[in-house]
Amino acid sequence: MVIFLLILHALVGVALLGALTHQVASSLRGRSVRSGSFVDRYIGVTQKTFTPAVVMLYLAGLLLGATIYPSYRLEVRIPFEEMSLGWAVGLFEMKEHFAGIGLGLLPLYASLWSQNSDSIDHRNRIAITLVLACIVWWAFIVGHILNNIRGLS
Amino acid sequence: MKLRFAPATFSVTFCCAYVAAFAMNWPLFLYYPLHGDWSFGPQIVKGIGPAMAWYGLMVDAGAVAAVAAFCVPDRTVKAIFRNYLWLFPCVAIGACVLLLRHFFA
Repeated sequence: MVIFLLILHALVGVALLGALTHQVASSLRGRSVRSGSFVDRYIGVTQKTFTPAVVMLYLAGLLLGATIYPSYRLEVRIPFEEMSLGWAVGLFEMKEHFAGIGLGLLPLYASLWSQNSDSIDHRNRIAITLVLACIVWWAFIVGHILNNIRGLS
Repeated sequence: MKLRFAPATFSVTFCCAYVAAFAMNWPLFLYYPLHGDWSFGPQIVKGIGPAMAWYGLMVDAGAVAAVAAFCVPDRTVKAIFRNYLWLFPCVAIGACVLLLRHFFA
């Protein structure tokens, strides 16, 4: 069951990563350019449409992560400590705290994307989305590295 | 009086409360995954396995932020921090890294 939830957690992470990266890339580029190139098609999306998906996927990912966290604490972290892999424990601790901060950002993120905003709100919107994207990328990469060192069984 | 949820207030307060709770080691409760036990407050109960503080920290920050979000309207927070809303999560992340530096020493 834990393995199933871990795989689901990773799949939700992939979807969230895709949505947020798409939104950030498109926001940073500004107005879309109409051409046939892959990059222009990638960033030429309606940015607002990603917001509900990002919120739902973030909540789902966090809920799944919180569900399997006790298994990590017992089956992975203790062996890490026995192997003197303090840095690996530290990486996971960062992932956990960053993810918590990201959860707190969701209302502001959703609010900034839901309104027609001026230039200051636009800057906040891009910055908050970028912070969320960094959190999700960090969580994904760290989760992958730690799972490679020692996965759940 | 009509209660309105203020998202900017929630997020700003959440970041501050989370870092404060983490830095001061004030989780509302601890969870012990070995036997599924709980204890109130930050004091670790010995003999029932490793303790987890993250759930307690999340509840701390969420509760403080929720109260603030219904008491302080967004316009108050935005009047002061409008240009710097993005700074709160960045500082919170930096503070967490600082607090976790002993893992990499």
